[in-house]
Amino acid sequence: MSQLLPYLFLGLLLFAVLAWWVWDTIVHRAAAEVLAPHRSRVKSVASHRDLGERIFGPEDWDFVSRETSWEIHRMFQRERTVLAISWLRRTRLQVSQVMRAHLAVAQKSEDLKLTTEIRLAMSYLLFLVLCNSLIGWIRLLGPVRARKIVGQTLQWAAQLRGAFEQLMARVDPESCGVVGPNFNRGTVRS
Amino acid sequence: MFGQVLWWTEIAMEALLVARAIGAKFYTKYTLFYFYLSSVLLLELFRFAVFTNLPISYPLFYWRTQFLAATVGYAVMLEMYAQALRKCRGAVRVANALLLCILAPVMLKVVAGAVSGSGWPTGETMATLERDMRALQAALLLVIIALLAYYKIPTGRNLMGIIVGYGCYVAASVVTLGFGSLPGFGPRPAWRFVQPIAYLATLSIWCFTLWSYHPNPEPAPESKIERDYKLLSDQTRRILSKARSYLKMGGQL
Repeated sequence: MSQLLPYLFLGLLLFAVLAWWVWDTIVHRAAAEVLAPHRSRVKSVASHRDLGERIFGPEDWDFVSRETSWEIHRMFQRERTVLAISWLRRTRLQVSQVMRAHLAVAQKSEDLKLTTEIRLAMSYLLFLVLCNSLIGWIRLLGPVRARKIVGQTLQWAAQLRGAFEQLMARVDPESCGVVGPNFNRGTVRS
Repeated sequence: MFGQVLWWTEIAMEALLVARAIGAKFYTKYTLFYFYLSSVLLLELFRFAVFTNLPISYPLFYWRTQFLAATVGYAVMLEMYAQALRKCRGAVRVANALLLCILAPVMLKVVAGAVSGSGWPTGETMATLERDMRALQAALLLVIIALLAYYKIPTGRNLMGIIVGYGCYVAASVVTLGFGSLPGFGPRPAWRFVQPIAYLATLSIWCFTLWSYHPNPEPAPESKIERDYKLLSDQTRRILSKARSYLKMGGQL
């Protein structure tokens, strides 16, 4: 009986993968959209960093902790946890867009290297694991205690945004805004 | 009686699919797939003739021809491979490497079996031989689907129908042939109908998705960046490593 388990597993795995692929293909049919993002999306990415700085900046917390009661402290922390997690999710989405843009191009590239592709896939997987861990960490500690971590992430997000915009500008120069050479200048206050 | 109904329905649907493809003139668009379907249709007709005229020889004839059908099934795999990756040269390179990783151990196993004089080591019966062939097809299908999903390769209605239909049949065959080889399962009448019912479901999917010609969507026109893979992969790697290092740094604070 035990020697048949691999066959059972293989059959069920194929069924599951087929079902997932059909669902994924139908739901995400507009894959080309990744290669040609709308201007509005790029603008929203641009304002994303400012929003992050506002969410994680020390000013609000300093004011709340100085001027308000303990109950308000708790309420503020709860609200900011939700916002912080939402921000990290958007950050994850940005990196996913970069990766998808890469894949959309790599599929047609004649000089594609298998080792590079595997390294990139592993790197992306690791990033997702780290990003999810950070979400869990903020969920546990709250955004105030995790401010330093988030500060570093904000700095990275600024760099990521620049790289992302540059990549998108190369892919579709008409729909993206012009990216200057000094795009990598995000400042962080932690 | 139920078996006979299933049999006739399958023959009718296969004939309908082939006739429709010839009538609508897209038989040549999926030559390998329709070669498989025509072969299976002919086999079914031969089987029916043997079943009617030489019922004693039928079981042996069935297993011999079933082995043939499983072998011709690789034509469908080739069709999927050719249709899906025709315009994706990068993905073809990855696919070749992955397929080699799957096929090399199988070839080694066959060679080792031939040297030791036992042929297929696990092929004690035709059923186990077919089971192993279907398992290999399942592995190849997983590679093709993984590539289609990972690289977001656009697939048309026809190709999706071929993959989903054949995938369902192969998955059902792997499970039923695996369990059918157990002493308690094989002889059960209900168990023997699982594979024909799965094949009927496959034919229904094919009738639905291959009724008319729907070519694969054309990939987006080439942009400037597509000419430089190295630049792109370096850039993506840099972004990912930056992202990772910052997140790691964050975790240590």
